Amino acid sequence: MKNSQLYKGSLTTIVMKLLEENGRMYGYEITQKVKEITQGELKITEGALYPALHKLEADGVLEVEVENVDNRLRKYYKLTEKGTTETVNRLAELEDFIRNMQTLVQPKITN
Amino acid sequence: MHPKKLNAEQIEKLYAFTRQHYVEYYDLQTELVDHLANAIEAQWEQNSKRSFEEALQIEFKKFGVFGFMEVVEKRQAALQKKYHKLVWNELKNFFRWPKIIGTLATIGIVFYALKLFQQDVVIVQMAFVVLVVSFFVGIFWLSRKNKKNRQKTGKKWLLKEIIFGYGSITGLMNLPIQVALNVKGENYSDWALLFFSFFIIFMALGEYVVLVLIPSKAETFLKETYPEYNFVN
Repeated sequence: MKNSQLYKGSLTTIVMKLLEENGRMYGYEITQKVKEITQGELKITEGALYPALHKLEADGVLEVEVENVDNRLRKYYKLTEKGTTETVNRLAELEDFIRNMQTLVQPKITN
Repeated sequence: MHPKKLNAEQIEKLYAFTRQHYVEYYDLQTELVDHLANAIEAQWEQNSKRSFEEALQIEFKKFGVFGFMEVVEKRQAALQKKYHKLVWNELKNFFRWPKIIGTLATIGIVFYALKLFQQDVVIVQMAFVVLVVSFFVGIFWLSRKNKKNRQKTGKKWLLKEIIFGYGSITGLMNLPIQVALNVKGENYSDWALLFFSFFIIFMALGEYVVLVLIPSKAETFLKETYPEYNFVN
């Protein structure tokens, strides 16, 4: 189940939701946070996370800050104003999707 | 006990490692270096005896068989999209108040000039040839300037590479070449002439944006995209 195709489409929404909750985060932090929340069930691969972040950044959903931490530069991502609105929409969309899937997957008990 | 951290020398090694694995751009190198460094430090928290090299190999494997390649490719695509947006926004400005007056006036002048000279097909063709030649001269000049600059700083920034010496617009240059080749010395309708005028001015403005306007604002765009641009250059 870990890296199922089903999760792939939701990756950006998951990232946006995390940023909404935590303010700014850096790439490695995001992978760890996802692992922690889902108790290792869902692993965001490095090869998928950065492209997703860069795309969101180019779309104006995320903006970046850079700081010097422990001898190195760290790039933080956070939601832009547009990104915050977008997150609300995407989450609503995802919830709809989940609801629809539930009705599809669980046989309805008809009277 | 303090958690074990990477030292400056090891950070340098990580930069070298990303370069060895085909990550040319400093902006991307930096992000990957921090990622690898965090991951290695996390490994050390579990097992402080593991060597730096060994820990690095374990982390690199997580990127899959293609290594950093996909990350690099997607980053290129994302920044190219951003660049096109920048070009488009600047271009749109010429069709907004108050600049649109100048744009329309120039289109009008070109229209009358074309009407006047349409029998002399060479003159019309020249207009298109000038457009194409100036584009390639401009691109050549910009990329040379960028190369010199890069030799000074030793760093390659992806967006900068796109802005200076860029080729994705080059394909569009085929259009004026085709027009120049197919134009004939005959009487065109006013609508056709108007279309030509619009086309010439649109191309000229596009060139101006790509070759002059955006490069002149490059520092601003680069600082916006790369907050780190300021303190490493």
